Amino acid sequence: MKSLALLLFTINEAIRKGTLLFYAAVATLILLVFALGISSNEANGLITFFGMPIAVQAGKQFDVGQFIIASLHRQSVFWIVVFGVFGAAGLIPSMLEKGTTEIFLSKPLSRTALLLARAAGAAGGIVINILYFSAGIFLVFGLKLGVWQWGLLTAAVALSFTFLCYFSVVTLVGIITRSSGFTVMLALGYTVISWGLEIRQHGLYLLWNNDVYHRVLDALYYLLPQLSAMLTNSSRLVGAVPFANDTSTFSIIPFVWSFGSAALLYAGSVWYFTRQDY
Amino acid sequence: MTALQTFELSKTYRPGAFKRKNILALDKVSLQVEEGEIFGLLGPNGAGKTTFVKVALSMVHPTSGSAIVLGLPLGSVQIRQQSGYLPESHRYPGFLSGFETLMLFGRLSGVPVPLLKTRAGELLERVGLSQWAGMRTKRYSKGMLQRLGLAQALINEPRLLFLDEPTDGVDPIGRKEIRDILLQLKQRGTTIFLNSHLLSEVELLCDRVVILNKGRVLKTGTIAELTAREPVYEIQLASPAPAEVLQELAARTFDVTARDTLLFARVRDVEQLNALVDLLRSRGVAIGSMGLQKTSLEESFISLIQGETAA
Ligand SMILES: Nc1ncnc2c1ncn2[C@@H]1O[C@H](COP(=O)(O)OP(=O)(O)OP(=O)(O)O)[C@@H](O)[C@H]1O
Ligand SMILES: [Mg+2]
Repeated sequence: MKSLALLLFTINEAIRKGTLLFYAAVATLILLVFALGISSNEANGLITFFGMPIAVQAGKQFDVGQFIIASLHRQSVFWIVVFGVFGAAGLIPSMLEKGTTEIFLSKPLSRTALLLARAAGAAGGIVINILYFSAGIFLVFGLKLGVWQWGLLTAAVALSFTFLCYFSVVTLVGIITRSSGFTVMLALGYTVISWGLEIRQHGLYLLWNNDVYHRVLDALYYLLPQLSAMLTNSSRLVGAVPFANDTSTFSIIPFVWSFGSAALLYAGSVWYFTRQDY
Repeated sequence: MTALQTFELSKTYRPGAFKRKNILALDKVSLQVEEGEIFGLLGPNGAGKTTFVKVALSMVHPTSGSAIVLGLPLGSVQIRQQSGYLPESHRYPGFLSGFETLMLFGRLSGVPVPLLKTRAGELLERVGLSQWAGMRTKRYSKGMLQRLGLAQALINEPRLLFLDEPTDGVDPIGRKEIRDILLQLKQRGTTIFLNSHLLSEVELLCDRVVILNKGRVLKTGTIAELTAREPVYEIQLASPAPAEVLQELAARTFDVTARDTLLFARVRDVEQLNALVDLLRSRGVAIGSMGLQKTSLEESFISLIQGETAA
């Protein structure tokens, strides 16, 4: 009950500070633009965006609507989690500001409950937005193009899960640095780190031809949430992009590994938080 | 019953991994607070008062020693369930109103919501914030925040209340109001643990005090015990006492200090005082008035701390 109160307060804080409302407004705006702008002409197979032709359904080899959805999804997932982190990262250090921590810590909640409820609230607000936006896109494309891509909904769940895993990094950094600025910067830096680790064989490996170094990179890849791999695989749930190079199908492996890493990082945050003096 | 008892509680802060300098904030502090009393913890800046309270509420982990708070070992969530805390620096989410702030912390304390609503209203009334209950705390003044802090500390009707400089930033009328609230609480049986520099206030409120300096307990006792000493009389003379009279007083082992037309006489008893007056009169010294000088807590505090620093 007390933890739930803190979780709801955290979401309320994100709303009252404007971040969540701003995101919801941006999501709604994008949905409206698509809803009003995109249309398909049954007769000539032309798909237009505010009257401008953007694609044409020629023949039956592939579905143009699917092409649009799948490529848009691949391009936007990264930005969705980055914006999400911008909005939520500050909520962890803000509870640790001098004067605020003392009050929260004096209430009868264990530090574990305090931290996890706060993190859940902070990430939860963003997850709600992700689900709302995904459901909206699903409806818009279904109604306007007739493409009922159910994969958008499973991808929304995968993306939410990805965000929760990513947020474990944010939480740990936030609890240690106690600075919103640092946390946001490191969280953004992590997107690059995660991508760099994923393609390490073609990048970081080549920097130094040393076996130990390579094994360390491997270890890091498996120990840290695989943000980049999870994003790619979330998009694969929306189906393939016709004619694209990527022929792989959805794999749950990065999600499984990341679940473990995130659990480890959240446990690490709790461990650190419990041991600190405030 | 004992509300709080510590056994050789010590805390060493180790700031930063790379800095060697450790700070001994509490040095084997053993003290006892009885249920129902108003207990004052006094000490100069940096004495360790705040650290002590934070250890009791498990915000700070002690380095060694132990404590029992409300019959529970340190670290128990149950301690916080039954305590209230007004920290020395406190900030509230600025986007909440005073009323919402109390609702939030009431929920976090596990107070059932229907009960909480009436209680929050009553508390705002009691600390004189009813008028501003709906205003965002971002726009509160320092004194208003302090009052809100007190209300927040009382939201769970604590058995044990920790207050760190409760009247900081509050106007004189507000101070009186807060004192009255604390006395009312005491009447209902709440134990109050007060950290303060304002010795005049401590004098008015506390049953017992402990003086802390550099993390060590210097003195424990009631206000009366701490301020008791040999009586000093202040004798106002019509004109400064002649030097030969002062010499004679000294020769007769009277402990007197002269400052202009004032004589400060430290005497054993009334008899010695009268002997002193007789001697002065017989040497033709005219006495204007005479009174017993009282030591305030502040004076004994200062002399204690200075004595400690000199030693
Ligand atoms: N988090 C901390 N890290 C390192 N040192 C600390 C920390 N908190 C307090 N100290 C140090 O511990 C000592 C005691 O501090 P404390 O705040 O308990 O004193 P205080 O008696 O409350 O002082 P004041 O009257 O100024 O409030 C000081 O030397 C202080 O610098
Ligand atoms: Mg202090």
